[in-house]
Amino acid sequence: MDNNVLKVNNLKTYFYTRHGTARAVNGIDFEVKHGECLCLVGESGCGKTVTALSILRLVESPPGKIVDGEVLYNNLDLTKCRIKRLRQIRGKDIAMVFQEAQSALNPVLTISDQIIEQIMLHLPLNKKEAHSRACGLLEEMGIPSVERVMNVYPHQLSGGMKQRALIAMGLSCNPQILIADEPTTAVDVTIKAQILDIFRDLKRKRQMSLLFITHDLAVVSEIGDRAVVLYGGKDVETAPVSEIIDNPKHPYTVGLIGCIPDISQTTGRLASIPGTIPSPLELPPGCPFHPRCSRVMDICRHQEPSYISISHTHKVSCFLYQ
Amino acid sequence: MGKSWLRVYIIKRLIYAVIIALGILTITFVLVRVGPSSPADKYLANLAAKGQDIAQVTAAIEARYGLDKPIWQQYIDYIGNLLRGNLGWSFSTSMPVIDLIKTHWIYSFQLILLSSIFAAVLGILIGIYSAVKQYTKTDYVFTFLSFIGVSIPSFWLGVMLILVFSVKLGIFKSYYDTALPLFSLENLKALVLPVMTLGTGMLAGYVRYTRSSMLDNLRKGFITTARAKGLPERTVIGKHAFRNALLPLVTIIMFDLGSIVFGGAYLTEIVFGIPGLGQVSFNAIFAHDYPVVMSITLIGTFMVLFINMATDIAYTYLDPRIRYD
Repeated sequence: MDNNVLKVNNLKTYFYTRHGTARAVNGIDFEVKHGECLCLVGESGCGKTVTALSILRLVESPPGKIVDGEVLYNNLDLTKCRIKRLRQIRGKDIAMVFQEAQSALNPVLTISDQIIEQIMLHLPLNKKEAHSRACGLLEEMGIPSVERVMNVYPHQLSGGMKQRALIAMGLSCNPQILIADEPTTAVDVTIKAQILDIFRDLKRKRQMSLLFITHDLAVVSEIGDRAVVLYGGKDVETAPVSEIIDNPKHPYTVGLIGCIPDISQTTGRLASIPGTIPSPLELPPGCPFHPRCSRVMDICRHQEPSYISISHTHKVSCFLYQ
Repeated sequence: MGKSWLRVYIIKRLIYAVIIALGILTITFVLVRVGPSSPADKYLANLAAKGQDIAQVTAAIEARYGLDKPIWQQYIDYIGNLLRGNLGWSFSTSMPVIDLIKTHWIYSFQLILLSSIFAAVLGILIGIYSAVKQYTKTDYVFTFLSFIGVSIPSFWLGVMLILVFSVKLGIFKSYYDTALPLFSLENLKALVLPVMTLGTGMLAGYVRYTRSSMLDNLRKGFITTARAKGLPERTVIGKHAFRNALLPLVTIIMFDLGSIVFGGAYLTEIVFGIPGLGQVSFNAIFAHDYPVVMSITLIGTFMVLFINMATDIAYTYLDPRIRYD
């Protein structure tokens, strides 16, 4: 367990709204190992993005607040360290790529402004060196005519190009960990394949850890090493990707896998899990999944299952296995 | 990236500007002349008292200024003179209009310039502060004060400022002293009350607009990106958020500049006795001094047209997404 680069322990991020307290992240544990790609999987609203933002303390506050838990990076608790120290880590040691490149890029600054700004903030390079570094990164992302792209504004690029520029920005200071929040959600299928290729390449070429957030199990099986399944602000299952796909334990994971449409079967309705994800404002008592669970037991309704290891690499939070 | 389309656009706008100016001139020309009285009236009252033949004197005066000709002839003469750079002769002050403007424009200019800078700089700074500290006590205080500020009419504020600062406290003079050299500390001091009078409403408006525009942009995704890069909050706010918040502000500030040239500065000049163009034009209207009224209208028109064009050009630099072709 020594090669963990990031360790998240019992993280809780709540939002204090007029309608009550939204427990968006309600006790999440996972660790990212050196050089691996860990996927956070779950439906929208399960707390994936808030988890990612909480790691770098980027949750808008107020109304959001990290109320409990720790995020350990090299034994430094990022939830409590000084903001100055955190800023040195943001963008340099831990970088983020956001889901919608359209809104994640500043519309009034050129691509070069936005990449060079970050490079010069963290690395001892002058403007010229930063410029050529940025060009190299864009080239690595498979962007044609790099010099032109450097001098344009985000709106002059296609969605795929913007996403690539954003990834280049994330990589610009050689981070130890890259957090990618649904980087393939806002682009179409062909671009999505290309972007996934980029990430696969990165994992191979750079000794970098990847925390990949997605709702798409197909993406998980393509690039993930291990996966954490989130539900209702908690992690319900953690295992290597192959095991999650082939041998899911938690009824929610089983349901998710069952929802993947089979292209050879053209008749009938798509499978789905009955019910909807609970509102973080009113999480059900007991196991958060019990109202939708097909194998619900009495105990699930009033007691929270603990997170137990069922094998060396497989953890699940369900009374079926306790 | 070249902006060759911008030159075409500017030329197009300049042509429109000339057409619009001509239209406004024509309307003003007709309006001031269809009034029932004549510039000769004032003299006539005096002369009649001295027992002179009024009809004869009227004819002489009107002939002298070309007022006996049919109105369309006068109009053609006027435009012709204008094109040759001749703004005409002021009846009431007995001097060329151009000289009258030359001596008075600086008083209006300094007032408008200082008020705008005062309002814009302070308004934007307070607005940004309020947005960053949203829902804190300071934000509530600034928001409350800015509501009062936008609601106060400037002439009333001027009178109140005089009451407090010159009558009660005696810190500032209640009138503007024209004897002071323009570039001196005393002159600046003399302008404090007029600038506050003219600038407060604008300042309060800018606080409101800056605050809401900043709040809009501080919630955008690229702000989170900027923070995730590790940028200090100063850069996140000053560079990433403010650059985006600037566009609506420039619109409002430039619009205000156009409207105080015509409106607000008049009242302030009169309240404080500042001999600017507002005051000159105010007197000229009562004296039926057509050429002066026409010329100041013309200056105002060109100022507004120029400001509008400058605003549109500024947009293209502030927001690269804006194009006019």
